[in-house]
Amino acid sequence: MPSTTDLEQFLITGLSLGGVYALSGVGMVVLYRATGVLNLSFGAVGAMGALIAWQLINHSGFGFWPAALVSVLFGGAITLAYGMVFGPALAHRDPLVKATATLGLTLILLGVMDLLWPSSGGASRSLTIPTDNNTFQVGQISVTYTNVIALALGLVITVATAAFLRFTKLGTAMRAIANDRDISAALGVPVRRVTAAAWFGCGVLAGIAGVLLADLVALDATSLTFLVIFTLAATLIARLRSIVITFVAALVIGVVDAELTPVQSLSNYRDMTPFVLAAIALLVLNRRRVITVGRQGV
Amino acid sequence: MRGMHHHALRVRLGVALAVVIGAVLLAACGSSNSSTSAPPGSSGGSASSSTSTASGSSGSSSSSGGSTDTSSCGPKAGQAATGTPINIGTIDTKQPGTDFSDGPNMINAYFACVNANGGVNGHPLKLFVQYDQTQPAQIAAAAKQLIQTDHVVGIVGVFDLLECTIDQSYWDQLGIYEMGAGIAPECWSTPHSAAVNMGPRYSSDGAVQYGLSQHVSKIVFVQSNVPGTGYIAAGPKALADAMHVPITELTANVPINDANSLALNLVNNAGSNGWVVLNFTPPEALVILQAAQKLGLEDRVKGWGCSTPCNTDFLAKALGPKWNHKLFVNAELTDADDHNGPEMQLYKAILAKYGSAVAGGIGSFSQMGFLLAKFSVGALDTIKGPYTIQSVNTAFKNIKNQQTEMLCQPWVYGPYPLHIPNNSDFTTTPDNGKMVTAQGCTPISNADPQIAAYRKAAGEAPSTNPPTG
Amino acid sequence: MKTETGARTEEAPSGAAGGPGAAPGRGRGARALDARSLVRPAVIAVLVICFLLFIPSIFSLYYVDAWTQVAIYSIVTLGLGVLVGRVGMVSLGQGAVLAMGAWVAARLLFATGLPFPVVLLAAGLITMVLGTLVGLPALRMSGLYLALITLMLAGAITVALATINFPNGGNGFTGYDGSTVHIPPIRRPSIATTDPAFFRYSVVAAILMFLLVLVHLRGRPGRAWAAIRQSESAALAGGINTTLYKLWAFALASFITGVAGGLVAGSYRYLNSLTFSTQDSITLLAVVLMGGAYSMTGAVVAAILLKFLQALLNDWGVSPDWLTILFGIGVLQVLTTAPRGIVEQMPKDLARLWRLLRGVAARPAAAREPAE
Repeated sequence: MPSTTDLEQFLITGLSLGGVYALSGVGMVVLYRATGVLNLSFGAVGAMGALIAWQLINHSGFGFWPAALVSVLFGGAITLAYGMVFGPALAHRDPLVKATATLGLTLILLGVMDLLWPSSGGASRSLTIPTDNNTFQVGQISVTYTNVIALALGLVITVATAAFLRFTKLGTAMRAIANDRDISAALGVPVRRVTAAAWFGCGVLAGIAGVLLADLVALDATSLTFLVIFTLAATLIARLRSIVITFVAALVIGVVDAELTPVQSLSNYRDMTPFVLAAIALLVLNRRRVITVGRQGV
Repeated sequence: MRGMHHHALRVRLGVALAVVIGAVLLAACGSSNSSTSAPPGSSGGSASSSTSTASGSSGSSSSSGGSTDTSSCGPKAGQAATGTPINIGTIDTKQPGTDFSDGPNMINAYFACVNANGGVNGHPLKLFVQYDQTQPAQIAAAAKQLIQTDHVVGIVGVFDLLECTIDQSYWDQLGIYEMGAGIAPECWSTPHSAAVNMGPRYSSDGAVQYGLSQHVSKIVFVQSNVPGTGYIAAGPKALADAMHVPITELTANVPINDANSLALNLVNNAGSNGWVVLNFTPPEALVILQAAQKLGLEDRVKGWGCSTPCNTDFLAKALGPKWNHKLFVNAELTDADDHNGPEMQLYKAILAKYGSAVAGGIGSFSQMGFLLAKFSVGALDTIKGPYTIQSVNTAFKNIKNQQTEMLCQPWVYGPYPLHIPNNSDFTTTPDNGKMVTAQGCTPISNADPQIAAYRKAAGEAPSTNPPTG
Repeated sequence: MKTETGARTEEAPSGAAGGPGAAPGRGRGARALDARSLVRPAVIAVLVICFLLFIPSIFSLYYVDAWTQVAIYSIVTLGLGVLVGRVGMVSLGQGAVLAMGAWVAARLLFATGLPFPVVLLAAGLITMVLGTLVGLPALRMSGLYLALITLMLAGAITVALATINFPNGGNGFTGYDGSTVHIPPIRRPSIATTDPAFFRYSVVAAILMFLLVLVHLRGRPGRAWAAIRQSESAALAGGINTTLYKLWAFALASFITGVAGGLVAGSYRYLNSLTFSTQDSITLLAVVLMGGAYSMTGAVVAAILLKFLQALLNDWGVSPDWLTILFGIGVLQVLTTAPRGIVEQMPKDLARLWRLLRGVAARPAAAREPAE
């Protein structure tokens, strides 16, 4: 059985991953609220951004920070491009269709990544953030500043986004469009510009999450792409609405997953955490809701 | 109105397509700059055709072009083989994340060299490659395709995750003796398969054996949770039990999502005088070791070990100096950068001249491909009559005492119930961005019952090569 | 009102756009309909028999295997097609459900001497129970939730199966012995031990599953699904127990996917966790959308896209990554411009291409005429 020192140590490793899941979750919820699109390509976009950063650092002589900037901009650009091209075409479709369409982008990116960065000859890659080298001691283990950044960014972006949606004009416009796109347009909200901002913001967060996860998890297209499942669980528990609940749920998922590591009988099952927690949450939520009818999603 | 809408849509789709294509091209440009490690003239490894004839049409005209001579690969320098081809088949894993195509591509390069220099008794060699995506039905069908449609007479160079398991009974029926570099237990435990690599079990044995030699109080052995973990873990357990050292055996699902927690768990399990041994692919092992480093765990145990996949300079570079003489990797292949005997020169020359499809260039996969091609061509040379499944596989089975610079001991096939011809190895450790030798060639202990059984059948081959490095 | 919906479903299963061209034909002639209803099954029967006889003799074993996979996976795509096309529920976990079916079947085949068809039936039923339980939490909520929870399920099942492993002839509940050196193959039915025979066996099993689904579509469930697809609130108001019928669809899809899992076990003969991945579930949805979720032919087209195309490209030495990219483009194309899949889109596109070519051919001719 794990001791309390164990629990403490795994709490720290869990929190930093949870922080990145939170940051990703916030990005997905904001986009969903502004456009009705649940962006399932979030992980794939981040993965490709991270691989581009790796390419620039190892083969074009870039420093880490410029390369990371490029990858974040790539995330923003490709997500914005997708949103501008396919967003209007699918604007009046069911949220389910909109989400499914982003799986198309996911598959394209997965194929392209494996073509461009193949694993032939046992090739392997890694992306290290310079802040990995600065550590401080907590109990028996050292904590890198990357861990701190991951958690802090998750928190900062959650708070900033919540404030942005509530207090700024653009944020209010996003909420209006989320409510009713057509009426908002009729009232003079610049729908195109506002949704573009949401797409770009979501992509930027995907880029940031991609670089962080490439360092914290692994620089591997498939695993980064499907880490989106951890994030999805958090957004689902928040019913795709509350940014704060998304943040908390993401941290809980990260911590539960980590804390199960030393429990030998459950250790290898611990990556089922997102599914189990989300299923429980749905069951509990369901008890209070009679039925959801119609095609509006939530 | 509706028409306009459609028109707008089509324009948008066109734009989308242009964006996607643009992104692909852009990234492709980026990556083509990058392939500095690939041999000159590399075409970037775009999937080569599956049945490329290894006829030496490209390089036969002038063999004086390169700085090194490749002509020693065949009997008649500069003379292209024109007889009826000898068909050889292979089945290899090639799927997203797991691409073993460097192995067969290197064999193709070697065959091209042989064909350009007289062939095998005048016959050119032709390699039929079947790629699979770890789907068992596909692998079984590929074997039948090779035999019944392509009429291959031998199976050489199988670099595959599952093939040994799936095709064993088929090879058994046909009397085929395959040669490869595998992962599945059946590659070492059956009469019909012999591998040039040690495989996960015996390489893990080697890594654990080194740890045991450092007077540790506990071993923690962890491996990726893929089929056959129990078979692999039995080796290290037998070794630790023989030394009366407690051992904890763990598995971790791959891809690893939370390496920090895993690393922490390993260290907590091992204790300060313990030894952690990893059996993972390089990227996964790197993720665990880097996590340990970030958490400051590398000194919380006496030492770290790793099976042979970790033996790459990539790992040494990525890890940095903290791991110098802290991590000890079991190694089976001589480092091509540090050695330049005649065999290694030939390997590099063939790779440079014929190996444009070998995307990874110099590396363990192409080294093993070279060895398999060399051993099989040597065996084919001995056949005087027609090349049939029977004559070819009898010749393969009779391969013995193959001297090589690349392994610790001569390679042998032989009529044994099991085949572990590569059972002596050395140990390397990172040293400022390179892997250097920590311990020379050492036989794996007989404490592993499979090794003991093999040595009983085949005798103990002497470790001929001097300690390397 | 209700019967009309039913009639439309039979003729041309109505998608979001409704069944075009189905309504006016009602009174025009029952006789024409009769003749057609006789001709179509006859044509299909002849095609199937040709298929059964000729594929093993004209194709190499490599492609016989590919066609076996097409037959088996057409059951999987049919199940997903029912969910997506008939009821409007998107499941992103069908690959995982298939893996569950294969696991159950392999376990039964190792543990018992039951005849193969009985094992298939049992695998279908057990998978049905498991699959339905899993979908339960999301069934009463909107479709997006079902898609998300099933995607998470796919990830979770991948993790669970990697941990408990597929049976390999060992003892205990999991039937897995990690130290086995010689893994025994999973047995096949005694009448279908060879590859061509197992191909025929799979096709027959697939036909039975298609008939089972057809019976459902023609019956009350089919009408209820069509009503739910049109409007869930209207269906509810019309007295349809929407939860029951959604659950029914989920159970049916899980059942036939479980049966397909049993066929996968018999076809592969060795199962392991490397064979099934989370991405499979997404790829499955992609081909179902491309093939067309609204028709049964679409299921076959989807299976051909998934398995035959893969075998073909592999044989040609083309990287499987291109297939992934193609599926991605296919999803976007289908969702934005051709919601009924390529089965219905292709003829239209070809007709447009033909007109275009004729136009191009006619123009120079027209230009030449006055000159002569």
